[in-house]
Amino acid sequence: MDREEFVLVRDMVRSLATRFGVTSADEVKPSTRTAAQQALDDMGLADLRRTSPPAATAQECALLAEEHGRHPLTTSLLGTVLLAPELLRLLGADTSPGTPTIALTRELRLPGETPTDLVAWDSEGADSALCVTAEGTVTRVELGPAAPSADLVRSVRAVPPDAPVETVGRLAPPDRLRWQSYALVVVTAELVGAAGSLVEQAVEYARFRRQYGQAIGSFQAVQHLLADATVLVEACTSVTRYAAWCLDNEPPERALTAARVAKAEVNSSALEAVYAGTQVFGGIAQTWEHIAHLYLRKVRLGATLLATTDELLAALAVPEVTR
Amino acid sequence: MTDTPLDFGDPADLDRLRREFRAWLAEHPLPERQSGEPVPVFLRRWHRLLHSGGWVGLDVPERYGGRGLTALHQVAISDELGACRAPGVPRIGYLAHALLEFGSEEQRLRFLPPMLAGDEVWCQGFSEPGAGSDLAGMSTFAARHDGFYIVRGQKLWTSYAQYSGLCLLLARTDRAVPAHKSISAFVLPLDRPGVTVRPLRAANGDDEFCELFLDDVRLEESERIGVEGVGWALAMTTVSYERNALDTGHISKYGLLVERLRRHAAEHQGSLPDGLLSRIGRCVVDYEVLVAHARRRTAERLAGQVAGPESSVDKLLMTRTEQRLYDTALEVFPAELSGVGGELFGDYLYSRAASVYGGTSQIQRNIIAKRILHLPSNG
Ligand SMILES: Cc1cc2nc3c(=O)[nH]c(=O)nc-3n(C[C@H](O)[C@H](O)[C@H](O)COP(=O)(O)OP(=O)(O)OC[C@H]3O[C@@H](n4cnc5c(N)ncnc54)[C@H](O)[C@@H]3O)c2cc1C
Repeated sequence: MDREEFVLVRDMVRSLATRFGVTSADEVKPSTRTAAQQALDDMGLADLRRTSPPAATAQECALLAEEHGRHPLTTSLLGTVLLAPELLRLLGADTSPGTPTIALTRELRLPGETPTDLVAWDSEGADSALCVTAEGTVTRVELGPAAPSADLVRSVRAVPPDAPVETVGRLAPPDRLRWQSYALVVVTAELVGAAGSLVEQAVEYARFRRQYGQAIGSFQAVQHLLADATVLVEACTSVTRYAAWCLDNEPPERALTAARVAKAEVNSSALEAVYAGTQVFGGIAQTWEHIAHLYLRKVRLGATLLATTDELLAALAVPEVTR
Repeated sequence: MTDTPLDFGDPADLDRLRREFRAWLAEHPLPERQSGEPVPVFLRRWHRLLHSGGWVGLDVPERYGGRGLTALHQVAISDELGACRAPGVPRIGYLAHALLEFGSEEQRLRFLPPMLAGDEVWCQGFSEPGAGSDLAGMSTFAARHDGFYIVRGQKLWTSYAQYSGLCLLLARTDRAVPAHKSISAFVLPLDRPGVTVRPLRAANGDDEFCELFLDDVRLEESERIGVEGVGWALAMTTVSYERNALDTGHISKYGLLVERLRRHAAEHQGSLPDGLLSRIGRCVVDYEVLVAHARRRTAERLAGQVAGPESSVDKLLMTRTEQRLYDTALEVFPAELSGVGGELFGDYLYSRAASVYGGTSQIQRNIIAKRILHLPSNG
């Protein structure tokens, strides 16, 4: 996409937020989810990664995921628009019926060699889910009933254990790496957006909330808390954007390392930034009505999604490629 | 800070440069530091060798002795130096930028080529005993006469002044107007009559920084950089480049140690104490984040963004990387603590200075709060 086109698409995602972003957990209902997803689907973004070569670069997709994460949106941009179409593109499966999302293990990790006990992750508007095994086989599974999720704005469905499994194709090893890295980056980008947005909201709040006769944002302790949170968000932003660029420009092994680094950084730093943000809001952020916990839930869950910090750090400590 | 796609350079082009650099390194073995050789002297030898291969100032225009490439090329080389276990790149980026931005064409032509070549070494005379964090409170005064200045005052913490020939000096040129409008910048030759340089011993035993006494030192008008009163702006530009790990050459220094930790992890994977593998992984992440961050900043700069308060973010990230890295390294190599190791413990002590020099961490947070987040001031 050229830059203007990208800005246009990003603004479309942004406009979704003004119309469909929830203002409290109470508004997260099946009917509001459906309406929001319908509006997203009408934008036709599922083609961004569906064609070969793709219409949007991985970097552009990551920026869209980041934008999506900034808002309390109930839409499944990641699952149905970015991740599943990418998988079909890598498979070269040009004609594929319906709107699939992605299946993960119940612990929300990438499945092993013989996956069992799956959930369809980010399933709003989806009618099936695609599962990639550790050796690259892609299967299509049916969706069961809604499953609970700590991330209240994210729709998750169970996958019936006895439902028939249809094999869609097989990813060659480099493509499996590409897919895995892309999934890590897209998920990570959404968390960066969420953390960045909550910190910005806290900064805004600190400007007008008054105690002791002055804005709390004038206290150095509060300023330093927000400054540190800003540094963490910037670190997350840099590392994720660079990892996304690597997907477009570097060989798969390097892209995977960059994606792992990004996820490891974001797992801890985005969460810490959200903690700082909620601290600045004081008591109000501890209520059900305030949206701070929607961000906290997303980022806390996101920190274990796909790969935990411990797993990543152990893998990154040992050099995998020697020059 | 841009929220549209960034160009991180052409990987093929950067790879070509990396290969070219590695080939050059293969033919130019790294110099060994001789016993008793002070670090700055050793680094200067290294600086000259690198320059002879055309590896210094890649992003500086050719007419000033650089290569006229982009800052992304400089990042790639910095990165490569770390991976090749070489000493760091010469720390001249921030000084060069000050001259590029504020110097006259004559000054740029006079000073940049020998700076890049390592023939003339510079130091930075900003801080004073009474003006550290509050730099605007400096009292060194340059009294203007007909075509020259007489400078009187004292500078403190001037790193490597004893090994330098020139000093980028800040002095007040007007007592009547507020500090931010009354500071001017000069090139001070340290052999000028009236200049006394006295080294101070640092906590790690090195004699890095110095005191500078200026007793009626005569400076010519042509030795002033930019117009009178522009010193504050020049200082802010200098420190914003100084706060970026790329411009200071720290990336390669960290890369070197990170590689050493990773090799250790690979060799002792089974026997590492609990948690240490994770901590090494954390250092790898910190380092890679810093490199990615420097790349992003560089890409933003190339897209037209000028260096500003966001360099405080860079500085805090650099500090985080350095302090966690050296702390972890002492856990991994405990022999360093008993004094039988190499230079690591000294570097560890020096890592504690990362949150002080170039503006303390608290000052960086103040800058972020006021100039990036626009939070209200107290009172
Ligand atoms: C290794 C090293 C090399 C250096 N090299 C050079 C050099 O080459 N040239 C040069 O000019 N200078 C150099 N410096 C000086 C350096 O820039 C100063 O040390 C630094 O700016 C802090 O000033 P100070 O030491 O006077 O501490 P102070 O300003 O006295 O600060 C003391 C403490 O108070 C805190 N503090 C002060 N004001 C505030 C505030 N408003 N809000 C919150 N906290 C505050 C500080 O963060 C710090 O923790 C070097 C310093 C070191 C350690």
